[in-house]
Amino acid sequence: MKQKILFLILSLLVPLNASAKLKVVTTISDLAALTQEIGGEFVEVKSIARGDQDPHYLEPKPSYAVLLSRADLLIEVGLQLETGWLPVLLTQSRNPKVQFGQPGHLSAAEGVAILEIPTGRIDRSMGDIHPEGNPHYWLNPQNGLVIASQIAQRLAQIDSAHAFDYQNNYRQFESRLKHKISEWEKKLVALKGKKIITHHKSFSYFVDWAGLQVMGLIEPKPGIPPSPGHILSLINLIEKEKIPLVITENYYDPKPSQKLAAKTGIKVLILPTSVGGEGDIKTYSELFDALIQRLAEVL
Amino acid sequence: MNALLFLLPAFCACVVLTGIHTYLGIHVIRRGVIFVDIALAQIAALGMTIAFVFGFEPESQISYFFALGFTFLGALFFAFVRNERLHQEAIIGISFATASALSILLADKIPHGSEHLKYILSGNILWVSWPVIIKTAIIYFLLGIFHYTVRHKLMLVSTKPEEAKRRGMKIHLWDLLFYLSFGLVITSSVQIGGILLVFAFLIVPASCAILFYDRLKSLIFFGWTIGLLTSIVSIAASYWYDLPTGPTIVTLFGIALIFCFVVKKIVR
Repeated sequence: MKQKILFLILSLLVPLNASAKLKVVTTISDLAALTQEIGGEFVEVKSIARGDQDPHYLEPKPSYAVLLSRADLLIEVGLQLETGWLPVLLTQSRNPKVQFGQPGHLSAAEGVAILEIPTGRIDRSMGDIHPEGNPHYWLNPQNGLVIASQIAQRLAQIDSAHAFDYQNNYRQFESRLKHKISEWEKKLVALKGKKIITHHKSFSYFVDWAGLQVMGLIEPKPGIPPSPGHILSLINLIEKEKIPLVITENYYDPKPSQKLAAKTGIKVLILPTSVGGEGDIKTYSELFDALIQRLAEVL
Repeated sequence: MNALLFLLPAFCACVVLTGIHTYLGIHVIRRGVIFVDIALAQIAALGMTIAFVFGFEPESQISYFFALGFTFLGALFFAFVRNERLHQEAIIGISFATASALSILLADKIPHGSEHLKYILSGNILWVSWPVIIKTAIIYFLLGIFHYTVRHKLMLVSTKPEEAKRRGMKIHLWDLLFYLSFGLVITSSVQIGGILLVFAFLIVPASCAILFYDRLKSLIFFGWTIGLLTSIVSIAASYWYDLPTGPTIVTLFGIALIFCFVVKKIVR
């Protein structure tokens, strides 16, 4: 009872929104950007995580639950990326529309070719392993097309009045992005086969698409400091293979890559992994523009 | 690069840490302010977070001076809130909790805030570089000279404050000197080894020594021996068994203390 009253008071604090726009909440900013492209003027999109936050871990805030409680559609990355915080928020939101399995709940991973699905035995000793595969699939623009098409279908299903607009927006977005992809792929030809080190595996999809070769990881298990044997073998590998670049996700500690650079002279690039990861990246395309330009400058 | 050359900086950093922390640890245990280093480190981290809010990167000089400034404020606070009715450890605990909470509140407002916060207090002794080791060694050596010259007075204030007061010593002033030099050491050490490692270097060698000895000289030399032996064994073990170095050192320090307890029982 007490909780119900509290909830009532909380919901009264939230100003009533008279507009009939479909309220979409996404877990990460990239999904929000894609939804905005497809939904246009008929949707109001908010992302829970900012683009500069590590989507694996979020400090829970009351505003997130309020956001979810008023949503018509929740879009998540899935593959257990949000497993640390989303289930609790969903329970707290008490919104039947966006619970798992409902039409108002979309896991954008459906239809995407997932990388790094572990085979054989899986246990906690392997660090924060994702048993369903690497969840950072939005970092391949080809997957962006798949995700956008998923979003378009789902929007059309819940808001059938504007189904035509969503399909139309999707087709326009598809042709724009395909055009961009062919531009990017031309620029990437020069980078094909270049050897790099990455901090962790957030860039697997990007690297796979761009044709770069990942020779090693600085922290194979994020949060657990690498052992001396691992670092020493990395140093020797960098020297032997003359690896020119290490890239670090901008939400990880830059210290290890900077120290590695001090020891070996390897260049360090700290890159965003999401829309909004840096101030001037506002759309899905701008994210790839930035990534490719920054890589081309140093490789 | 061969393994010995690669592990040498980490070992030298351990030597530098053992040197000053064993001595400071004896004071900390005698005063009963075991967690003062964690509180001061957290206060330093708060300073760095505030510097970050103003746009100064954690690696920059200005950020370091923010950390140092906040640590000194903390030292001032600890020195002047000595109170007969309230145990010093309570005040230290409250300072730790408040500084942590404030940092989280601030970090929520800045890009990569919470991630940034996690890393201020983590260090990896394997990444330590020669210039840092030399710089730290010089700072600690100078502080060591200072502490050597005032060792009798400072020890009296730490162990028997009433006696010191009777002799007309200004307790608050000596406390301030102690916490200031302590804060300076902690701010530098945490950057090298991370908070867990620094805590182990501070408390364990001193604790082992206190089991066996009373005189300051014996305490220090025994503490140094324990500290150095454990460091060598830990670094070698972390290499051979492919384990993260910092946590290996801390774990073996814990085992070293148990070993000392056992030896003490048997010798008796």
